[in-house]
Amino acid sequence: MRELSYAEAIREALQQEMQRDERVFIIGEDVGVYGGAFGVTLGLVEEFGEERVIDTPISELGIAGAITGAALMGMRPVGEIMFMDFTTLAMEQLVNQAAKIRFMFGGKAKVPFVLRTPAGSGTGAAAQHSQSLENWFVHVPGLKVVMPSTPYDAKGLLIASIRDDNPVIFIEHKLLYKVKGPVPEEPYTIPLGTTEVKREGRDLTIIATSIMVQRSLEAAQQLAEEGIEVEVIDPRTLKPLDKEPLIRSVMKTGRVLIVHEACKTGGYGGELAAVIAESEAFDYLDVPIIRLAGRDMPIPYNRTLEYHTVPQVENIVQAARDLARGRM
Amino acid sequence: MATSVIMPKLEMDQETARVIEWLKQEGETVTQGEPLLVVETSKITIEIEAPASGILAGVRVGPGDVVPVTEVIAYILQPGEELPAELAPEAEPALPPSPAPAPAPEVTPSPPPVSRPATPVAQRLAAAHGLDLSTIVGTGPGGEITKADVEKALAVSQPPAEAQTEKVRATPAARRIARERGVDLSTVAGSGPRGRVQAADVLVAAAGPSPEVERTEVTVIPLQGMRRTIAERMTASYQTAPHITLTVRVDMGAFEEARAQLNARAEATGQPSVSVTALLVKAVAQTLRRHPWLNSTLRDQEIHLLPEININVAVALDDGLIVPVVHGADRKSVTEISAEVRDLVARAREGRLTPADVTGGTFTISNLGPFGIEQFTAIINPPQAAILAVGATRPEPVADEEGQVIVRPVMRMTLSADHRIVDGAVAAHFLTDLREVLEKPTLLLW
Repeated sequence: MRELSYAEAIREALQQEMQRDERVFIIGEDVGVYGGAFGVTLGLVEEFGEERVIDTPISELGIAGAITGAALMGMRPVGEIMFMDFTTLAMEQLVNQAAKIRFMFGGKAKVPFVLRTPAGSGTGAAAQHSQSLENWFVHVPGLKVVMPSTPYDAKGLLIASIRDDNPVIFIEHKLLYKVKGPVPEEPYTIPLGTTEVKREGRDLTIIATSIMVQRSLEAAQQLAEEGIEVEVIDPRTLKPLDKEPLIRSVMKTGRVLIVHEACKTGGYGGELAAVIAESEAFDYLDVPIIRLAGRDMPIPYNRTLEYHTVPQVENIVQAARDLARGRM
Repeated sequence: MATSVIMPKLEMDQETARVIEWLKQEGETVTQGEPLLVVETSKITIEIEAPASGILAGVRVGPGDVVPVTEVIAYILQPGEELPAELAPEAEPALPPSPAPAPAPEVTPSPPPVSRPATPVAQRLAAAHGLDLSTIVGTGPGGEITKADVEKALAVSQPPAEAQTEKVRATPAARRIARERGVDLSTVAGSGPRGRVQAADVLVAAAGPSPEVERTEVTVIPLQGMRRTIAERMTASYQTAPHITLTVRVDMGAFEEARAQLNARAEATGQPSVSVTALLVKAVAQTLRRHPWLNSTLRDQEIHLLPEININVAVALDDGLIVPVVHGADRKSVTEISAEVRDLVARAREGRLTPADVTGGTFTISNLGPFGIEQFTAIINPPQAAILAVGATRPEPVADEEGQVIVRPVMRMTLSADHRIVDGAVAAHFLTDLREVLEKPTLLLW
């Protein structure tokens, strides 16, 4: 199969959906002529014109309001917030309006939009351009939250998100944009709410999201050389969460390490841990559920400090090794 | 006038005693000389008599309490008399017999304890564990109690009960497997952090004990009484007194001959026979006269060469051992010693030894010969300077003066001496002197 980068896979999903469905349009800052801050929408304005690839001023709340209104009127908008940090400015429309309208109108109205936004650190962009705020949205009923970790998943999940009748927060990762992987040329969907086992193993389950899936796979490769077989699981959509594969995996291994980049306190790892603890997998746990996550601090600008603020491959290897050997 | 009942000092080096039980209850009328309570020292269990007649009141220690000697533990009052002022604040009428054990009133002993300086962390740690700082010796600057001092005290005082009552730490997986396979988790040794039982531990346990290991439960015996005393004294001795050990082989031919002669006379006169131990005690005691350093004790910064020669004889009991004393053994005849040892051993086995029977020893003999042991080294019985470990007498091939191999009755004895006091040569002179006495018993007449 041919390989595409994560950014290219997203672009192809947008392109194919815009070709398939004329209600689909793109709106955001620098998404048109400039091709997006990370080049994701490069060339789309040339193909679909400024009517369907709309550049906006710096106006996050406006973008969120525009896609909410357009979706209510029957369009399938894909908004982009250039850095996830600035979804904070769009919260009112996203949380109080988009997330609640379908419920409040008894299903007579729906808000089928996608809000794409890149999260994560590792680019030296400092505290205001590096956050991972996915759990802010996980906490809001009415929103779906998607976090793809591979080019393949990015394309299939984005197409599914565009076709979904609910507001979807589609969280990309800056460092993943250049990661390559096999991606089919034809359009395809990955249903929201399908967890995937990325690597099978018997000794330990790692549940990871976004870029931490890639780092966990690398860690698993190293640990395999030590004879520790790690199972790496990617929920892919944080909400709705497909719990069964997680529970089955933990029942198999008895050990679980949860890895995400967002700050540990109040992070999605706590939710995953609780899901496992509440399930029948509890009786199979042979070590405490351990979370490996970002430090509870703003992302530093200094590259060395930035590096040590979020989990890296070596941290995952160490934690997984300790867990697998029953030292935690 | 109120008579105070104090914890008596029954032995030379006794610092505390443990209360076993009160034979009289608070408010009961007692007569002078009547047994009042039972206490246990490091060596014996003994009844303490009422020092006066009257009403028992102000009982402030209960069973199990370890009380420093000379401390007031109760009062005997005359009818109508009040407790001394220092006990008054509780204002509890002492007259009606209260159910035992009577609560120990919270009394500030006089003089009040000097509050010792302690670091903040030491204070916090002590408070967290309910540890009385006045019981801790500080090693910090100016005697300040440090965190390390408190930790040391905690390590000593940590009750073993905690470990017994603690819930089994097991992972959910271990608990599930234990449930499924009917394994009692409390019998499974955990290999996880802090002894946590993990799935693999239960699987091993469920696989069943290996055929030769039948018992799965640990038999727990609290370390108390005689056993505790032995443990404490042996540890203290081995840790504080650097032991030097010397062994000699003794030709016991003449010794056995002498004993045969003594016993022939004993039989002829209808007296009990003389034991090997008695003869050994006699020989050791007389030899010690010429070697005062072996009959000494180290007290603080002084070596005390002791005027009396009092020989302890180790007596094995079913549940431990006790070392009664033959006082002034160098001045007694072998028949006297033999009779005394026989009496001491009999009373030791019946648990009827008095403090005088077990205190004041200056040198100890431990004879494992009757158990078939050829040679061993003993741990010094503190605060003594040396102990003699006596092995069995057995026929052995030895070379005579002409170099011919002959068979002789041979006994090996090993001296353990406190090397702080006794130099190697000093110990050697004593041991070879003793060998000569044993090999030529006529020298006992010297």
